[in-house]
Formats: sequence, structure tokens, C-alpha cells
Amino acid sequence: MKNLTLNNKLAFIAIGLGFIGLFLGNPYKGNLVSMNTTELGMIVEGKVDHVSVQDLADWIIQAKMDFKLIDLRTEQEYNEYHIPNSDNITLTALEKTSIPKTEKIVLYSEGGIHSAQAWMLLKAKGYKGVYILFGGLDDWKDQILFPKLSETATPEQIAKFEKIKEISKFFGGTPSVGGTADVKTETPKMEMPKLDNQSGNKAPDGAPKKKKEGC
Amino acid sequence: MNIPFFKYGMFGDEVSLIVAFIIGIGFGFFLERAGFGSARKLAAQFYFTDMTVLKVMFTAIATAMLGVYYLSIIGWMDLSMVYLTPTNIMPQVVGGLLLGFGFVIGGYCPGTSCVSAATGRTDGIVYLLGVVFGIFGFGEVFPLVSGFYNSTLMGQVTLPQFFNLPYGVVVFLVVLMAVGAFVAAEWGEKNMAKKAEAKK
Repeated sequence: MKNLTLNNKLAFIAIGLGFIGLFLGNPYKGNLVSMNTTELGMIVEGKVDHVSVQDLADWIIQAKMDFKLIDLRTEQEYNEYHIPNSDNITLTALEKTSIPKTEKIVLYSEGGIHSAQAWMLLKAKGYKGVYILFGGLDDWKDQILFPKLSETATPEQIAKFEKIKEISKFFGGTPSVGGTADVKTETPKMEMPKLDNQSGNKAPDGAPKKKKEGC
Repeated sequence: MNIPFFKYGMFGDEVSLIVAFIIGIGFGFFLERAGFGSARKLAAQFYFTDMTVLKVMFTAIATAMLGVYYLSIIGWMDLSMVYLTPTNIMPQVVGGLLLGFGFVIGGYCPGTSCVSAATGRTDGIVYLLGVVFGIFGFGEVFPLVSGFYNSTLMGQVTLPQFFNLPYGVVVFLVVLMAVGAFVAAEWGEKNMAKKAEAKK
């Protein structure tokens, strides 16, 4: 051993480390993925990955919760208001999430951009059923919490609005008619509506009752 | 620990320039200590009389590879965050040959010419001016060569991916190659020295 020069010793250390490396495997931690761009393109083009706020509202009212609803906004925004039954997982946390790959997932953010980005991220990681709440929380506010009926509405629109009003009240919203719609300034403090003992919690008449397949 | 620090946002663009400067100075310092400020020493590589360049470069490659590999294995580093230059095989082969010709003719490569210029050698300064002129020249003719420059793209390919071998095997093979090259270089140097003696 004493005859070995420093160079020899370093060479042996390198060989040793290289040899151990034979048994240690892949240094990439699985963050690199490959994607089928054709398949993704077809999904995006066909818009089959969209869920409308009305559908989501129906599902919540009917207690059809065979999917995971994920709020991608910050914790603070989530605490201020969130759609009932949603979990708060930000984009960076989503990367490390341990949700099973077979789970149905509906994503929402303020508008649609973060949802779309998260959608891509989850698709890349091999999640099968990922859907975007179309229009995000903005549409949820406009169409579910604070729906407006214009004064020049047709009888059809009025009839439809009656149903929307019921849905809106269920979620603690404030439907309005005509110009008095400026209540939109604050979002109601949201407690999960209890489905059994509130008068407004019965599924509104005429609300679609059939189960929807594939989110 | 989160390596690469820059990618994980531990410092911003401005600080990254300072970090790059410090690393650059360190790189230059060790090139100079290895004797790479001298065109004679560098050119001797091509006459097989002094294989220091090969030994230093291969040592750097093996050390960096083992460091990066083990840091990733123990989870201190995310290798997927390290940028890999995409491979455009033909333009890079041609570029490599061009650099090789320049190296033999001028006695420097771009990095060592900076070291040489920094130590005040005239040939180094002239060479560095040539490098700068070459950069501008290339920039000017780029529209003419951009087709070739972007041709034969293979993507961000690595040896394990290309040869479809496990990473550990490639690590071991590269270490063996490096050590083999050191042994061959020592042997070659001794032989060339003997030949030189015999000529005298």
C-alpha cells in the first residue's frame, strides 16, 4: 500500500465508486416524463377534459363525489373562499402529490390558466381522468354564486333562472335581477352546506338528475 | 439540500453572475496550475510527449460524473433540473474538428487562451482576439449556416439513453475508460521519452 502514489490511490477510489455505482441504479428521480402529444392534442381539441360550473354544482348537490376536487390557489385564497368539498393543493405541491393515478380529478383555479397547467402536469405524470373546471372560480362566481338575470330576459330565460336561483342559494350565493346585481363585491363565507337539514339543500326542481359519465 | 441552487431559486440572476465569476476564476486558476497557460505544454499533447491535458480533463470528467451521480443518488441533487445541451450530431462533429484544428495550430483552446492571456502571454492575447473575431464572424454568417447548425437534432440525449444501458454501468465504464486512459498515457509518455533519448 505504501508504494502507491497519490494518483494510484485516487484511481482506486474512482474505480471503487464506479463499481458501487453499478448497483445503485438511476440518478434521475422520475421527474422526466414522456408524453403522447397526439393523444393530448385530441383531448384538448375535443374539449372532453372540461367540466362546466353547472355540472360541478349539480354533482355537489347530488352528493356525487366520485372525484377529487382540487383548488390550485394559495392557502390564503383557499381559506377566504373555496368550492365545497375541494382540497387545497398548489401547483408545486401537486408535483409531489400521492393521489392514485386512477382517481378522477377536477382542477380549478381563479381563471383557467393554472388549471390547464396543472392538467398538463398531471397528464404528463400519467393520471388518466383529469378535468378542468371550465372558467374556474370566475365562472363559479358569475354563474353559481351571483347569477344575474337581465331585465329584458325572455320567459325561457326566467324559467331557467328560477332553477339557477335555487342552486345559487344552496351554495350561499346571491342571485339578482336587473341592475341590482352589485352584491358581487364579497364572496360568502363558505361553510360546507349540510345536505340533510337545510331547506335550500334539496336538489332544485328540474335540475339534471341523471348521472353523468366521465365527469 | 436542493441542487442545482440556481434552479431552486436560492439566488437570482444577478447573484448567479457573481457565482459564475467565482467559478470561472477557480476554473482558470486550476487550468493555470496544471500548466495550461503554456501553448508548448498544450501542443505537446498532440505529439504524445506530455499527456497532462488528457489526464486533467478526464480527471475532471470522472470527478464531476461521480459527484453528480452520488449527489443525485443520495437525493441532494435533482439531475432532471440540470440543463443538457441538445445534440445536433453533424454540426457538433464538424465544430469539434474545427476546434481541434484550431487547438493544434494555435496551441490553445478557448478556455486556456483566456488563462494564457490573463498571465500576460502575447500568443494567448492574440489567440483570444482571434476567438473574439471568430465569434463575431460566426454571428455575421449565421443566417447562411443556420440550416446546417440546426440539422441532425437528436435531442437532449445521454450515453445511458443512447446505448440503452443502466446509469450505473455507464458510470463504471467511464471510470474504467478514464483509468485506462491514464495508464496508457503514462506508458506513452515513458515510451516517447525513451525515443527522444535515443534520438539524442
